[in-house]
Amino acid sequence: MNEAHVRIMNTSRESDIRRHPLRVNHPSILTTVDLHKSFYKGKIEIPVLRGVDLSLPEKKIISIVGQSGSGKSTLLHLLGTLDEPDRGEIWFRDKRIDNAPRRERDKLRNQKIGMIFQFYHLLPELTTLENVLVPRMIEQGVFGYFRKRSKFIARAKEILELVGLSHRIQHRPNQLSGGEMQRTAIARALISCPMLLLADEPTGNLDRKNGDEVMKTLIRLNREEGITVVIVTHDESVACRADRIVRLEEGKVVEIEPGELAETD
Amino acid sequence: MYKLLLSWRYLRTRFIALASVVSVTLGVATLIVVNSVMAGFITEMHARLHGILSDVEIAAPGLGVIYHPEYHIHEIKQVLGDDLEQLTAVVRVPALMHFEVNGFPMTQQILLIGIDDQSFGQVTDFHPFLMNTNHRKKLSFELQADGYDESLGVCGWEHRRMIAAWNEEANLQYERLVQMNRQSAPVPQDLTGVIELPKLPQVIKTIDEFDEINASTAGAPPMRDAFDRHLPGPTIDQIFDARRDQHTGIVLGIAISSRKYKDPETGENMESFMIRPGDDVYITLPTAGANPNAVRENCTVVDFYSSKMHEYDSTFAFMPLSKMQRLRGMIQPETGMTSVSAIQIKLKPGTKLDVARDKLQARFPPFETGYVIQTWQDTQRPLLSAVNLELTILNILLFLIIAVAGFGILATFYMIVVEKTKDIGILKSLGAPSGGVMSIFLTYGLSLGTVGTGVGIVLGLLFVLYINDIATLLGYLSGREIFDPTIYYFDSIPTIVNPWMVVGVAIGAMLIAVLASVLPALRAARMHPVKALRYE
Repeated sequence: MNEAHVRIMNTSRESDIRRHPLRVNHPSILTTVDLHKSFYKGKIEIPVLRGVDLSLPEKKIISIVGQSGSGKSTLLHLLGTLDEPDRGEIWFRDKRIDNAPRRERDKLRNQKIGMIFQFYHLLPELTTLENVLVPRMIEQGVFGYFRKRSKFIARAKEILELVGLSHRIQHRPNQLSGGEMQRTAIARALISCPMLLLADEPTGNLDRKNGDEVMKTLIRLNREEGITVVIVTHDESVACRADRIVRLEEGKVVEIEPGELAETD
Repeated sequence: MYKLLLSWRYLRTRFIALASVVSVTLGVATLIVVNSVMAGFITEMHARLHGILSDVEIAAPGLGVIYHPEYHIHEIKQVLGDDLEQLTAVVRVPALMHFEVNGFPMTQQILLIGIDDQSFGQVTDFHPFLMNTNHRKKLSFELQADGYDESLGVCGWEHRRMIAAWNEEANLQYERLVQMNRQSAPVPQDLTGVIELPKLPQVIKTIDEFDEINASTAGAPPMRDAFDRHLPGPTIDQIFDARRDQHTGIVLGIAISSRKYKDPETGENMESFMIRPGDDVYITLPTAGANPNAVRENCTVVDFYSSKMHEYDSTFAFMPLSKMQRLRGMIQPETGMTSVSAIQIKLKPGTKLDVARDKLQARFPPFETGYVIQTWQDTQRPLLSAVNLELTILNILLFLIIAVAGFGILATFYMIVVEKTKDIGILKSLGAPSGGVMSIFLTYGLSLGTVGTGVGIVLGLLFVLYINDIATLLGYLSGREIFDPTIYYFDSIPTIVNPWMVVGVAIGAMLIAVLASVLPALRAARMHPVKALRYE
């Protein structure tokens, strides 16, 4: 963190809170204010996000759609604090997270936000059960983990049961089908009981049947556990199952009704 | 926790990394073997070098002498005080030794050392290297009847009597030959019957035997009495009889008279002796002073000195100090004042040799007295420092081998980190801090280092344990003897395993393994999570 960052944090905290645009009106879990992000190809600046203002209401499913290259994944990475915006703010509840210390963001990703990726991103050396337990291992030290080990394993098995994988817990990722791997990834995202699930093309690599399974799982989690789910997708049949849909166009978000999808695309 | 788990899994699934650790293993094993052998060699060598050398020595330069040793000893006691344990005076001079082997005369150059049989053994480690157990307990320059090492064969009084009997028999045969020669010679006719050849007398071995024979002749006075009463000069007991008497005792370095060889039939290492304890030799040595004369002394070999240092064993011969002083004229007839070549000093254990030497140098300044005052390490400095240099260079070279192994680990790790880029991204997206990701690879490096070092230690120690068997095996396979005891005077390769050396080598090797994994680990830690996730 550079000096300027520190200064901003110290001087503008109060005004930040005052300026919080949706603070009073909507109970939103994640809010972005005027997000900008550019990539560089050599010296050429390629702006991807040009002022994204987005508010994610709690306990809803939100889809983000857009053409490929429109910045959907980039936005998701920013929301998940994997990347830092060039400009703008991201608020998790009433806490600003885009410029928080790295350690705090690591903790946030580890405990409050679950992430699911198109290519599952499981660790190939570990079994299903171990993959699911990784966030807990990261959270706890060696001794802490060993002390609560049986509790964690019981919880992991419970979640694997929930996603329908209890018969696969000792298998390696290369022994699983795509759908099973994605459900393992969902289980891993759930082990820390997050409030927010960010899914980047969760069905992008799956056939319709498996994709459907995954979507059903996500929806069930939203309904039963009250977890806010953000799904980035270009698949309209997936997008339209969300409570709310936004489209990324030219680096900005456009709110659309579920019915509009067919017309605009 | 994930760090340990993942390091463990990487260790089990990446065999190429284990291959890179083989060089660590070999390096560690080699270091342990080399250090153990060198330590064993150096310790053995120190013991042997120090064996005959006292802690500190004050010596007259060259063949010069120190006059009035009593005064010097008094002064040394004053200077060293409580540090002094014991001191002794010695006379040293090059000499020639003559002896016969199967009737052939031989001459050998030796360094004759006159020692005090009481104090010399207290100042140096002289006794343990003697080949006679009686002399090991208490040194005397007397031939022993028993107690000689079995490897010497028949020796001592038994050998001496055998040789004496043989000599007598040989003389007898010679006489007979002469007689037969005379008989067969063309003798003038007229002399026949004029000359009566004497009858060969009965072989009488000793005077006492003569008396025994004579005792049967009634009335005859014993020969002994006749000798004692009527003959001028020495009494009969003083007449030298090789069966009963010995000359001045001398202790020879074992390699002066022995040759090591390999039995062509059995292939065993044998030792043949040209002289054994009990044989007589002649020593020619110069008298002291500016105008030396050669004096000759008959000596009887009473023991061998075997320090296993070839340099010593092949040149040193020891004689009683007083005898040598008399022979060389080192006792002033008027005053009885003696002189010696050197005074050897033993210090109390724990005394700093260099400090004691410096004190003595201050008391006897070398540029005034000309004395050479040295510790035993000074005396052998060229050899000791050469061996130490050798050890240092070997260690540096071998650590370089481990360093090479370190670069192997570095390269392998770098590749593994690149291969695991996506995993690193995953871990970071799950909230693993950079430090945690870094420590996965550091732990990995440490585990590899530990495995390599552990196996290396076990291999190295096993090698040291069975080094002589391995040397034999290698000799058998290559057809050339690796360790030839005839050269080294060690029966087997000496080894000493210093635990601290092993610990040091282990720590060094593990450190190198960890250091080699730092760079790849840093790269892993610095990876941007999004870029890492997108890496294909």
